[in-house]
Amino acid sequence: MIPAWMTKSEASAPPKSGGAFAIRSLRSLGGVLARLKVQRGREGKRQLPALLRLLLLLVLVVLLSLARSRLLLLTLAALILGRLCLLPGELILGVLKSALAAAFLALLLFLPAMLLRPAGIPNNLTVVGKIFLSVTMVNIFNRTTQWNHVTGALRKLRVPGIFVFLLDLTLKYIVLLGTLLRDLLTAYLLRAVGKGRREYRSVGGLLGVTFLRSTELSRETWEAMCCRGFTDDYKGL
Amino acid sequence: MHIPENYLSPVSCGVMGAAMVPVWVHAVRRVNKEVPKEKIPLLGAAAAFSFLGMMFNVPLPGGTTGHAVGGTLIALLFGPNAACLAVSVALLLQAVIFGDGGILAFGANCFNMAFVLPFVGYGIYRLLMGKSGRTSKARPYIAAALGSYVGLNAAALCAAVEFGIQPMLFKDAAGNAMYCPYDLSVAIPAMMVPHLLVAGVIEAAFTVAVYALVRKTAPDLTYERIAEAPGKDGLKRRIPIFALIAALIAAVPLGLLATGTAWGEWGADEIADVVVNGKALGYTPAGLEKGWSMNVLMPDYALEGMNEVVAYILSAVIGVALLIILFKLLSLALKGRRSDP
Repeated sequence: MIPAWMTKSEASAPPKSGGAFAIRSLRSLGGVLARLKVQRGREGKRQLPALLRLLLLLVLVVLLSLARSRLLLLTLAALILGRLCLLPGELILGVLKSALAAAFLALLLFLPAMLLRPAGIPNNLTVVGKIFLSVTMVNIFNRTTQWNHVTGALRKLRVPGIFVFLLDLTLKYIVLLGTLLRDLLTAYLLRAVGKGRREYRSVGGLLGVTFLRSTELSRETWEAMCCRGFTDDYKGL
Repeated sequence: MHIPENYLSPVSCGVMGAAMVPVWVHAVRRVNKEVPKEKIPLLGAAAAFSFLGMMFNVPLPGGTTGHAVGGTLIALLFGPNAACLAVSVALLLQAVIFGDGGILAFGANCFNMAFVLPFVGYGIYRLLMGKSGRTSKARPYIAAALGSYVGLNAAALCAAVEFGIQPMLFKDAAGNAMYCPYDLSVAIPAMMVPHLLVAGVIEAAFTVAVYALVRKTAPDLTYERIAEAPGKDGLKRRIPIFALIAALIAAVPLGLLATGTAWGEWGADEIADVVVNGKALGYTPAGLEKGWSMNVLMPDYALEGMNEVVAYILSAVIGVALLIILFKLLSLALKGRRSDP
């Protein structure tokens, strides 16, 4: 026999705004972790070495920024779009999404200036176009180059070993700590129903624990380095 | 606050990058001296933490969220010099791997967020904490809140000044801005009002929330304790750094103003006076004299003042590339639909 109170339907509608920050943080974290994991194995076989690609990217970024003549701008646009169209569709979509977002934001920012001063419109549009092209370029580079090849390239460029070591370590820690933070956020979301009154305390807890874990991880890394005979020499790392 | 590519002129980017070099060198030296060897992996952890902190959404009243930079927090936890390096590495990764903030503008972004923000924030924190060891319970938190609030706004002010001097320095012949079109009178209020009202508050709340937890659960891990343990040389040695900061902040815009028209960026009215090998150029190149036409960007596949054949070929390449991109995207959309059911 079911008691009467169990047969009654109850409406429970906790306010939805609680934990919105956690959901958003999860989303942006997920994006970063996915990007870093995709970083492996997207490189084509017959590509230029990472060192050359990095140098080419730097030269093109500077050239694009300095470009005054329309001929040069057009040539660069043809080059960049030509390279973009050779990529597979999914990559093009990813690259275009961020590039168009950046260009759109720039357009919005420049809109008041264009309305106030119509004579400046061609210049403003050139800047917007340049922003679109640079973002496209950087995105093509980072979506087709493995990060460990980039750090290898940096070492060939005689960037100090400790700096390269720091970069590599940072990337690994981002994945490790990011995964931890993702788990913490998931746990928080599962427990937080409705509007949280102590959201700031939760933020402190989430990031505080991440910080504590980061110091622990760094100590463990140092111990591991010692165990493997680290002798102040970052070249062999 | 990440300045993207092309909002600042390459010259300003170069100046800001050059201004950062001594800061980085100083920070590396101090870190080498202050941070024991076994703490070096901690720098990587600090950079990763700073990267994640910048991605973290902080709740705002009304259900919305915002991002904090967390520069002061990193300085409180790891020390200002380590914070400078850590935030720089995080910014570099953001620029190169995630396309967030420009590669050329990296120096400017570092100046604002890796130098001004942590040093000003930490300096104010130390100033408010005073010298005495005994303080009330709330004092560190008030100091952290004020430090992070002022630090963020100082960084925003620097970014606004960098934006605002662009139209004063880099104009084309007709007086139109080449890069960011807003001058100081627009850029400063546009940057400062949202930072003073919203972003600064987020930054302060974020810093206090995390700092409070760390102080309660693991007080030995904060930088203050690490720094105080070996010697009592806290504020005194840092005074030169603050003097350097103040001088640099004052000098950078001045230095930029003094450079005048950059080499290679003369307007049509100036180029005749440019001195080459002791002789003035004496004429205005025809291409420059004509300048921009006010037409559409690509009228009839040919651009004025440009070889028609070249322009045609380039337009063709761009057109073909755009078509290929369009078709690939279309086929991607169709593929997704086919595999769905």
